[in-house]
Amino acid sequence: MHIDIKKLQEIVGVENVRDNIADRYVYASDASVHRHLPDIVVRPSTIEEVQHILRYANDNKIPVVPRGAGSGMSGQTVPIAGGIVLDMKRMNRIIEIRPEDVLCKVEPGVINDELNRVLKPSGFFFPPTPSSGMICTIGGMIGTNASGNRSVKYGATRDAILGMKVVLANGELVTLGSNTKVDSSGYQLAKLMVGSEGTLGIVVEATLLISPIPKYRAMGVANFSSLEDAGRMISDTIASGITPSMLELMDNVAITAVNNAQHLGLPDVAAIVIFECNGMVKEAVDYEMKRISEICEKHQGTGVKISDDPKEMKRIYEGRQKLFPSLSRYGEGMVSTALADDMAVPISKIADAVHEIHEIAKRNNVVMSAYGHCGAGLIHTKILMDTNKKSQWQDAKKAVKEVYEYIQALGGTTSGEHGIGISKAPSWKEEKKDSLVLMKAIKKTFDPNNILNPQKLMDAPGDWLTATPLRYHMSA
Amino acid sequence: MTTTKKTSHLQKYEQEMNVCIRCAYCFEQCPVIREVQWDTDGARGKVILAYGILTGEIEPSQYIADKLFRCTFCRDCLERCPSKVKILEIISSARADMVEAGFASDIQNHVVQNIHTTGNIYGDKEVVSQEREGKTPLFIGCQYLGRPNKTKKYIKILEELGISPVVKKEVCCGYPLEVLGFKKEFTTHKEQFQKSFPFKEAMTLCPTCTIFLQEGHNIDTKHVLQVISEKIPSAQLNMKVTYHDPCDFSRGLKLIEEPRKILKKLGVEVVEMETNKQNSRCCGGGGGILMSDQALSNDIAKKRIHEALDTRTEILVTSCPTCEQVLKKAAQEVGEAEGKTMIIRSIEDIIWQGIQEAKKSAEATKA
Repeated sequence: MHIDIKKLQEIVGVENVRDNIADRYVYASDASVHRHLPDIVVRPSTIEEVQHILRYANDNKIPVVPRGAGSGMSGQTVPIAGGIVLDMKRMNRIIEIRPEDVLCKVEPGVINDELNRVLKPSGFFFPPTPSSGMICTIGGMIGTNASGNRSVKYGATRDAILGMKVVLANGELVTLGSNTKVDSSGYQLAKLMVGSEGTLGIVVEATLLISPIPKYRAMGVANFSSLEDAGRMISDTIASGITPSMLELMDNVAITAVNNAQHLGLPDVAAIVIFECNGMVKEAVDYEMKRISEICEKHQGTGVKISDDPKEMKRIYEGRQKLFPSLSRYGEGMVSTALADDMAVPISKIADAVHEIHEIAKRNNVVMSAYGHCGAGLIHTKILMDTNKKSQWQDAKKAVKEVYEYIQALGGTTSGEHGIGISKAPSWKEEKKDSLVLMKAIKKTFDPNNILNPQKLMDAPGDWLTATPLRYHMSA
Repeated sequence: MTTTKKTSHLQKYEQEMNVCIRCAYCFEQCPVIREVQWDTDGARGKVILAYGILTGEIEPSQYIADKLFRCTFCRDCLERCPSKVKILEIISSARADMVEAGFASDIQNHVVQNIHTTGNIYGDKEVVSQEREGKTPLFIGCQYLGRPNKTKKYIKILEELGISPVVKKEVCCGYPLEVLGFKKEFTTHKEQFQKSFPFKEAMTLCPTCTIFLQEGHNIDTKHVLQVISEKIPSAQLNMKVTYHDPCDFSRGLKLIEEPRKILKKLGVEVVEMETNKQNSRCCGGGGGILMSDQALSNDIAKKRIHEALDTRTEILVTSCPTCEQVLKKAAQEVGEAEGKTMIIRSIEDIIWQGIQEAKKSAEATKA
């Protein structure tokens, strides 16, 4: 592939183009298991620069992969076909904040927490709450339809998108969506861009719905000796009409990992459920918390504790907070890999899913913990394994396939919030087999030369394990 | 993986680099990536480069060495990393492999040569400690040896507080050798240091030396402010300042309350900056970056000055001579460009002023 570096330097300046192997190697990977070198990394700072780059790339059929923080866990920003990685972090202006219209307009490189820091004096926040909020960009969140532990109340990024400006593959700039919460008929193209992982266009401005910051918050915890009871408690809570702002589950593998690594002394039970309610009226929050406590007790929840004291709330959430590092240090020689990491199931099926995940892990010689935003049906897992051993990758491949087959049998979906990229594409394609033809047709309409993040989603290779070199070195 | 000479230092960190899930949480407040915005320049980028060198997927080069040396060693990434990866150990080992592959810069080689020939980083035989007898061993460190007035002030403070420090003719603790990746040279130097400073317990003036005497030489070391905070008299200086936590102080030694306790006792009100204590933004002066990229260091320091200006105070107090030096330069440049004033003062100045005030006040009460 020939790329005219001088042409790109003319567009964005010499200092914003790099083709050194060191830079290409760093931009070859994200937080997934994959790696593939781009040919060049380019950093635009204006819409016009993005348009010029895309016109050049389209004319010369050069792949273009947009990238924010590169924190995706499924390989969305791994340039599987080489070409240009478009690092969007320089497009980081907050264009306007309109509290009276509950919206703001931002460029794609704005960091989630930075936006919230700027919104705070107006009494507003951007509701999706990804745990990577301190570093992830709005563009990346749009690409993957990101969400987080408050998705149970506020939904995902798509629910907070009103409109956007997008540069299409041919360099044309289009405005999609509106400035209003309601936007009746016609194809909702702004919403279509959300979760498209950079395959349809480059988002260069987004109009976001913002929410008032709740004045009151309280948190609670309950222990369950069976996953079924925990599952019923979660289901009943959601069906009761209460909308918690957080409803998180930790299974016994997760509890053991936290206790081993952090010595927090969490109870050795089948599951711990953490819940939170927030709002503008204290009495309403208190009422909801009391109702959830009663539901916990109805389903044999023990050790039920609720508090609105910030220190106590921090203590309640500490185990969940420290789960991630605990899993990273689960056992000698084992590391945490981003595989089968964020499936979602109908809420009533959570206990079944967690049980089966444990069985699948045992059968395949890997360790899998289940935890996550279960109020939204979302289950996080990680596969803990010895990445140096080739045989462990075969084990992981088998485990991933079995997990997704089971999740689909339950009526669940492959990815709740991290996206598809490369790693989840084989199972996702199976799940979405009825709509793949339509998706391919949409892709062809937006990007006839297939330059925008090619070989992702429905076009990704059929075997994730051989789709790209792995970022891990294998010795045996 | 077969050990090669090329990566003998990185070899033992292969598993640690696998533990890094490349989540980029280390971007949050990394002063370098915040400034330059290239992924290659953040902690994750450096760990990826180190992994590439170890696995042979990329070849060592001057370009990669320059990237690895573009780090202030501010420890912020260690605070942010959810997997608690030993990032700085990986970077310093990668630096060591690069140095042994011949990619150290002239200025880095020069500093190492200085330590070898004169025992201090300046290469100046006249820069020596003023030996004195006393009870508690005090390690001065290169940064204070090069600033004899500051050292004298600290010794006077200690004497006023009834502490009698022992000072020996000393040589550098060796931290610059370690951080710049000259690990072989450090092994030789370590013996020389230990002969010149044969103590099991000590106080130091410099926070970086405090950490390195503990970690590199196994000496039970306290920073002098820990000692002073226990003995400081009350005074009424009636000042309002902001306090910049040096990275090795707040994140390295976890000494957050001691300087604040001292300032409060002296009647100095501290208005905190937006990032403070363990979350403090770096001044841009550490990790050898002053040798490799002064302009970048200066840009980082200016960010910190702007943060200090947002507190609407006019005095920034700090407790590290390197922070003081880079912040003074940045404050002067911001002042000239924007007409805003931020005076940089060292904590020992304030302490000395407070002790004098306390003495005067005691004398007035007596009279």
